[in-house]
Amino acid sequence: MDKATISGNTITIPAHDKFLVAVDEFIEGVLRRYNTDESVIADIAISVSELVINAISHGSRSSLDKSIIVKIRKTNGEVKVIVSDHGSGFNPEEIEDPLADENLLKEAGRGIFIVRSLMDTVDIKASEQGTTVTITKAI
Amino acid sequence: MKLSDREQNGIVVLEPKGKIMGGPDASLLHDKLHEVMEAGRKKVVIDLSQVEWMNSTGLGILISTYTTLRNNDGELKLANVTDKIQSLLTITKLVMVFDTYDSVVEAVKALK
Repeated sequence: MDKATISGNTITIPAHDKFLVAVDEFIEGVLRRYNTDESVIADIAISVSELVINAISHGSRSSLDKSIIVKIRKTNGEVKVIVSDHGSGFNPEEIEDPLADENLLKEAGRGIFIVRSLMDTVDIKASEQGTTVTITKAI
Repeated sequence: MKLSDREQNGIVVLEPKGKIMGGPDASLLHDKLHEVMEAGRKKVVIDLSQVEWMNSTGLGILISTYTTLRNNDGELKLANVTDKIQSLLTITKLVMVFDTYDSVVEAVKALK
């Protein structure tokens, strides 16, 4: 698999960061069709980028053979985005506190923290078969 | 992200444009920074006025730039930080790390 494929409100990409822009354009396009406020679009786009990067680096380890699926839908005044991968999974409990003084100048480790800060709800289901993260945000 | 650079009163001003989200963005800024430092320039302003948003990778790139310059007796100032990026700097407590200014002129003045 070497390209992004879109089917309805779902985009599937190979697990490589060169497809981040394709996911962003897809998500922002769908949100604009929902007439979403630009600031909320940015919050959701930032969060989705974090989850896709997480899926690439911690889940599928930048393998073009593995895919990441991003689904978006709007129900009852909120947007729900589901990002799933088939990688080795990660334990969100093992993430260090990015606000601790000793971690403040670390270049990585803030992704999930930022998602939790920007979204209304964040649900992470991780297993050896992969990770599925569901986020919601009122629009 | 696209990246251009210019000089203002002897200070290097980097001007990223678009979204800083990862992928090739990190190496683009990293390579430019090393090009600047190899030319003997150690005081840098990053003008964020044209950055729509950044994620944690973008923040990591700013931190990398900050620490690289600081470890080489240099300095980094941020100018024209948008509300969205300011909000990220606040929730991550990176406001305690970066010096931010309302304009490039003010940031350059602080480095003189």
